[in-house]
Amino acid sequence: MRRTFKFLFLPILAIGLFIYVYQSSLSPKLGLDLQGGISVILTADQDTDPEVLEKSVEIMRTRIEAFGDVQEPEISISGNNAVLVQLPGVTDQERAIEALGATGLLTFRPVLASSFDTGYSPAFEYLPNPDDPENPIKVSAPGVDEEIGITLDDNPNTESYLLSITSSYPVIYKLGPAVLTGNDIEDAIAAYPENEWIVSLEFKDSSAVKFTDLTKQLARESGDKRRLAIVLDGEIVSAPGIALDVNPDIGITGGTAAISMGNTDTGESANNLAVILRYGALPVSFERSSIQKVSASLGEDTLNLGLQAGLIGLIIISIIIILYYRFLGFISVFGLSMFGLLFYSVISVLGNLQGFTLTLAGIAGIIVSIGLAADSYIVTFEKLKDEIKVGRSFEFAANKAVDESWKTILTADFVSLSAAFLLYILAVGPIRGFALALGIATIFDLLFTRLYTRNVVPIVVSRIKNTRFLFPIKNKDITNV
Amino acid sequence: MFKNLFLGNTNIDFYNKRNLLQKIFIVEIAIFLTVLICAAIGILNLNFSIDFTGGTTYQLTSEYSKSDIDEVLTNNILEVSRYQTYENSDTVLFRAVEGSQSQETEFLNYLANKFNVDSNEIEFQRVGPTFGQEITTKGIRALVIFLSFIVLLISIRFQFRFSIVALIALIHDLLICTTIYLLLNFEITPSTVIALLTILGYSLYDTVILFDKLRDSQRMNKESNLSIKTLNKTFNEILMRSINTSITSAVPIASILFLGNIIGLSGTLTDFALPLFIGIISGTYSSIFVTIPFLSRIINK
Repeated sequence: MRRTFKFLFLPILAIGLFIYVYQSSLSPKLGLDLQGGISVILTADQDTDPEVLEKSVEIMRTRIEAFGDVQEPEISISGNNAVLVQLPGVTDQERAIEALGATGLLTFRPVLASSFDTGYSPAFEYLPNPDDPENPIKVSAPGVDEEIGITLDDNPNTESYLLSITSSYPVIYKLGPAVLTGNDIEDAIAAYPENEWIVSLEFKDSSAVKFTDLTKQLARESGDKRRLAIVLDGEIVSAPGIALDVNPDIGITGGTAAISMGNTDTGESANNLAVILRYGALPVSFERSSIQKVSASLGEDTLNLGLQAGLIGLIIISIIIILYYRFLGFISVFGLSMFGLLFYSVISVLGNLQGFTLTLAGIAGIIVSIGLAADSYIVTFEKLKDEIKVGRSFEFAANKAVDESWKTILTADFVSLSAAFLLYILAVGPIRGFALALGIATIFDLLFTRLYTRNVVPIVVSRIKNTRFLFPIKNKDITNV
Repeated sequence: MFKNLFLGNTNIDFYNKRNLLQKIFIVEIAIFLTVLICAAIGILNLNFSIDFTGGTTYQLTSEYSKSDIDEVLTNNILEVSRYQTYENSDTVLFRAVEGSQSQETEFLNYLANKFNVDSNEIEFQRVGPTFGQEITTKGIRALVIFLSFIVLLISIRFQFRFSIVALIALIHDLLICTTIYLLLNFEITPSTVIALLTILGYSLYDTVILFDKLRDSQRMNKESNLSIKTLNKTFNEILMRSINTSITSAVPIASILFLGNIIGLSGTLTDFALPLFIGIISGTYSSIFVTIPFLSRIINK
């Protein structure tokens, strides 16, 4: 009686959990490779502080939420210095990723000189050459490239030479150290006041004074030196001049400023910039080291292929096992079905509770584990056959077989489990999904062997009198050995 | 015959076949080494996917002609290093070098135009060169730790000498896969690596079950060391299980390969299934036929 309860425990659990999953209409959470979408790995410098990385992920999360139309984004730290961004479903998400990974370091810097009048970078100076008046001697400022005259490694705290990209022709400005940064901004909103998109900035109260002081100072200057450059991630977004009617003794008050964004699109870039500025700059810059884009149709095809292949495989295995092991075959097919049901339910529940996603590699792990689970039955049945062969009674043979095979399966599954565990710890990306699926399946296999197989086989075999119901051979063949 | 096989009464004298099996093993290893040497001096190349080398891929499904592909190969936006087409399907895959982001977008639009598909329907993948190196070094480190761990585990559960036999069977299976990949120039993707790791698992699982059975027989015959009789008896008995297990493991994988080929879908799942299929067959073979010559040596001592 206790045995009956034990062997029924897992099937009842499996069916119960499945009914729960079915009624709450849960289903496994599919990975990008099965439902389509974009996956990007953003890599920071090798020795980035983990805390900095975590802060970056936080900022990226708030940014992506602000973009709104992205469903179930997943942003997580991967390895020592990388962030994995996964955006399922394919709409125009490349733009989202672009905005997500942008550092977003905004600075306000006074203009010191420009290439407007001369036509060459203010980083270059041409001294008269006494020997050859046609070719003056070119002197470059330190830290700029020789060809164009742009600062190679921009540091907002020192003077630098940067290119303006938004004007109709390129201009290189010489800029002073940053006076205000993105940290001084309270709020940023995209707006379309007249004929072009702008990002309207509102400074924090404490910083508004700094801005007023800066404009006072600039209003005293003339020409290029009246300009204030707004620099984002090392590129000058705009460099407006302070209007001529600004009083040098008062400056610009009210603590607001605007960045013009032109009208080349329908406001996406203005919106993205506003979002980036509102939630602050990333504390470290990232490089895209891997992008993978999977269309929804391919994902669906692959999922169907996996499901169909699994189903066909299961049916063929069932037929083979039933042909070989007769009634025992039915026991194992029932056990395998319950194994499958439990696996499906647990993955669905995990997907909703823990965010466990089922990827292609995971499906591969499941297909492999079906083979392993089937093998556990085969090992047991073969032991049983050996015991019956040496002349033991069916009942005694069955008990001995389940005990001995449990030890064998424990050893073999322990190897599988260690392999899965090691892989999960050591590997990256898709291999982890595989290891997790294999690990869960191996634990289930152990549970089923211990609770289900170990109890149901003796119960059934002790009621059977003829070898024909167990194996494809006659009674006299097996006892004639 | 089937009856005998089923009952484990086949009475094959495996111990007597040890010299023949050893010769087969040596020939196998000689072939593997030749292929590996060919690879080392550059006659054969391992065809690594962009996940390891870095670069970009574009995969699309549309009717195409040979001249379309030639045109793409000579385009002046991005350098296309190779392309791949599939039997039974209109899918074509281009592999190109890394470019700037705008170049890559331009190329994507160019392909969308050329083959008249929506640019969102083109599978795009981009991998930086350092990322590939990182997963390779991590994979190798995982492998080394894993193998040491397995040697330790089998040494504790069985004997140190057994763990060496298991390791030889394991390396044999890995070499078969590598050789086939080299000879047929299949692309090596992360899925292939996962499959290789799985093969490790299978091969070990099979060998561990064999060792367990050997130890049981030893206990039954009250022997402290492996004898010829036990060896022969065990291998005869285990034949059926080995055949059954490889059938049950290979059938789902064969159905992936079979269905994948019919649908004309060549992707991660089929990348995975092929080496696994090879590995399961070879794992079953090696756990029986490769271990015999080495186990025989343990007897002789």
